[in-house]
Amino acid sequence: MSGDMIGGFLKIRNLRKSFGGNQVINDFSLDVTERRLQCLVGPNGAGKTTTIDLISGRQKPDSGHIWLRGDDITGLGEHEIARRGVGRKFQIPAVLKGLSVRENLEVAFSRETSALRNMFRLRAPGCDEKLAEVARTVRLTGRLDTEAGLLSHGETQWLEIGMVLMQDPEILLLDEPVAGMTENEIELTVEILNRLKKTHTIILVEHDMNFVRKIADIVTVLHMGALLAQGSLEDIEKDERVRAVYLGTEDAH
Amino acid sequence: MANALILGISIASIFLVAAIGLTIIYGTAGVINMAHGEFIMLGAYATYAMQTYFGLPYFLCIPCAFVIVGAIGFVIEKLLIQYLYHRPLDTLLATWGVSLVLIQGTRLTFGSDPKYIQMPGFLSSNIELGGVSLAAFRIFVILAALALIALVWFVFYKTDFGIKVRAVTQNREMAAAFGINSKQVYSFTFAFGAGLAGVAGALFGVLNIVLPTMGTGYVVQAFLIVVTGGGALMGSAIASIATGEMQSIFAMLLNDSFARFLIFILIVVFLRFRPQGLISAGGSRR
Amino acid sequence: MLDNPYHNKTLQWLAYAAVFLLIGIVPLLTDDDFLLNQLATYGVYGLLAVSISLCWGSGGILNLGQGIAFGLGAYGMAMTMQMQSQAPGTIPPFMANNALETLPIFWEPFWNTGLGIALALLVPTLFYLIFGGLMFVARVSGPFFAIMTLAILSALATVFVALQPYTNGVNGISPPTGLVIAGTKIDPYSSTAYWLVFALLLICTFTAKLLTQSRFGLVVRALKDDPERVRFLGYNVAVYETLVYALSGLMAAAAGASFAVLTQYVSPAQFEVGFSISAVIWAAIGGRGSLLWAMLGAFTVQGAQSYAGDAFLNTWILILGFSFILVVRFLPGGFAGLAELLLGRLASLRGGRREEFGQAPAKGAAK
Ligand SMILES: Nc1ncnc2c1ncn2[C@@H]1O[C@H](COP(=O)(O)OP(=O)(O)O)[C@@H](O)[C@H]1O
Ligand SMILES: [Mg+2]
Repeated sequence: MSGDMIGGFLKIRNLRKSFGGNQVINDFSLDVTERRLQCLVGPNGAGKTTTIDLISGRQKPDSGHIWLRGDDITGLGEHEIARRGVGRKFQIPAVLKGLSVRENLEVAFSRETSALRNMFRLRAPGCDEKLAEVARTVRLTGRLDTEAGLLSHGETQWLEIGMVLMQDPEILLLDEPVAGMTENEIELTVEILNRLKKTHTIILVEHDMNFVRKIADIVTVLHMGALLAQGSLEDIEKDERVRAVYLGTEDAH
Repeated sequence: MANALILGISIASIFLVAAIGLTIIYGTAGVINMAHGEFIMLGAYATYAMQTYFGLPYFLCIPCAFVIVGAIGFVIEKLLIQYLYHRPLDTLLATWGVSLVLIQGTRLTFGSDPKYIQMPGFLSSNIELGGVSLAAFRIFVILAALALIALVWFVFYKTDFGIKVRAVTQNREMAAAFGINSKQVYSFTFAFGAGLAGVAGALFGVLNIVLPTMGTGYVVQAFLIVVTGGGALMGSAIASIATGEMQSIFAMLLNDSFARFLIFILIVVFLRFRPQGLISAGGSRR
Repeated sequence: MLDNPYHNKTLQWLAYAAVFLLIGIVPLLTDDDFLLNQLATYGVYGLLAVSISLCWGSGGILNLGQGIAFGLGAYGMAMTMQMQSQAPGTIPPFMANNALETLPIFWEPFWNTGLGIALALLVPTLFYLIFGGLMFVARVSGPFFAIMTLAILSALATVFVALQPYTNGVNGISPPTGLVIAGTKIDPYSSTAYWLVFALLLICTFTAKLLTQSRFGLVVRALKDDPERVRFLGYNVAVYETLVYALSGLMAAAAGASFAVLTQYVSPAQFEVGFSISAVIWAAIGGRGSLLWAMLGAFTVQGAQSYAGDAFLNTWILILGFSFILVVRFLPGGFAGLAELLLGRLASLRGGRREEFGQAPAKGAAK
């Protein structure tokens, strides 16, 4: 069943999902290549977050299949998918508000997930070094002992990106990671992402074409739960159908 | 078997009467009210007091119990509950404290000796129903359960207040935009639920003796009905009938205690597969 | 901002050590065996409060039915003690009174003291694993879980009353002699019994404290905040929840077993809803978030209750109810929360003064 997997790191075939009669994902297929940054774009309500939900196990598809490195991961639990190397950042930043920034990063360092083994472990080996490095990357070194609930919006976004980095997954699913960030913060994110994509596979959901331009290797356009177009950013920008869909909604803003 | 089924209906009606106020308080305001059993107890004492001190006939005591317990509920909501809406576990604990205080307050006021409520003569007879002899009062409780469902349905779907309640539970911000004071709506919903518990107390005070601790047994039972039902009125009704019938049938085959135990286990297993309950009221539960 | 000493891990361990030192030297100060027995009972209640706090304080799992484990543990121990006093081949008198002729099969293992004590601890733990597993895999949580624990508790109480011939119903079991371990009898009214409970409380509390500071504890604290988020980090949340719940059950079972040793009596009263909720009240008033404070909460509330005496019991319950409401409404952290607040104030006051003297720490160093 995974014979034709060559080159495909993440493979999605004929995915369908509906919520109470509302067909949100409609026969969606996608191939993601290793060590590429693939941008998922599309108007609001196109089903981008739902796609991320389906890959990461938050939602179960009505039909269709998802393979990760040749393994069928369709319908697995969230934690099982995460253990196979899928890290996720939520559209509405989800950090553990009652814990300190340091604890957030520590808990995200999840090489050992077994509850029994973790009982006999006060520290995870390698955690401190990784934490220092990640904290530097996301510029939170000075905020490590702050309660995460007290961070600014931008910092919260950073922290969640930091958590995904601590997790060190093979594939990162980032749902609108720069929403609400200042120009400077966005610049920094671009730097990180461009560095990260040399070693990791990334799917990134974004509206802002200027941001997409700076990072994307491939752009996939989702419309009404189906794939509308895919290619380099230049190709996409030339595409008439994309213009019709996309510019139409962009203007409405 | 037919006996068991008819008896089951009677048990179901008691379950439903006990749970209906809680269904409203939980289903719409999302409040876990552990003092519900004590509201029932207060309803019984209100009935007793009205009958003994003012000589009111039993049927007039029932609406009085509604008003008195509703008013108490309103005050408790204003003083305590309204500050805890965003802390469900703390609401649970605080209302448990309320129940302690209510039990103890009642004990200090009325004493710990049992009280009895007089019912009208014609309700104390037995009625033959399909070969089963059933106390007339139990039939009255069945009718009362139906009447309460009709009342709640009417209040929620046919009155101005009901429209507001449904607006607030569906979308608080939107309701506010239409000038609905959601705080006020919650207060009155809580009071309404408390009042219904008062009515339950007026009925149960006749079935059992009236004691300060008489409410403690009801709260767990009522919550199981509400949780199994999913927080909706119809859910509670169906859950009451299902558990009432099961209680009656299992009790016939085993005994009362094991029937209860078995039903609790079945509910746990049921919730394992359907955590949202029979009919999800939506919203209040993640 | 300066460090709040309340959050300082070294100071925390010191506080634990100090409190345990204090309660450890009690038998050296008094010969009153009745007092020792009473204090040991408080120790058992303290252990019960610690078990509640472990589950509720760190994991946010409110368990209103901790009496399940406590009661089962107590019954297991009482059954063991009963069989110790029984000549081979005989059955406990209450069974004969209930027209039983042979020992019921589930009583057989209690002939063996080691096995009996093991069952007293393991049966409740297993019960928690199964029930908790069912609930947490279905993602039943928060108030619903609390209510389900309450339901199971009251169901269990009914069964223990109904099984009159096997459990002696509402009368419960009162073994005629104290527990004998390795040939020595443990007199409930003695410093030996006190030390035993003390050792148990010490071991359980320090284990629980270590557990909350382990990686396991970190994940548990994280899932209290947002279980959904924790799943996406690769942790099987249901397993963590079930285990912390079962461990707290094991501690409650140990508390129940000690209770049976101390009182030589067990009855369905241990399954009463009121008793389980009392345990939650101790933890809440002491401070759900701190194992030590939860324990102190149990000491305080139970101590005050016996001080108030039977004559004032009614008023006392009224006061307890009101204070519980006030704590939940205004001081959700209990005494522990108050201590945290005061220590924080104190620290910032001192820090403020230092700044006046021009010794303000460098910006970067301040946390
Ligand atoms: N859990 C859900 N229940 C019902 N409808 C949902 C749910 N999640 C998403 N939807 C619907 O699916 C559609 C796509 O949503 P989403 O994937 O969030 O879009 P995008 O992220 O592209 O903006 C929207 O119409 C949304 O209302
Ligand atoms: Mg989205």
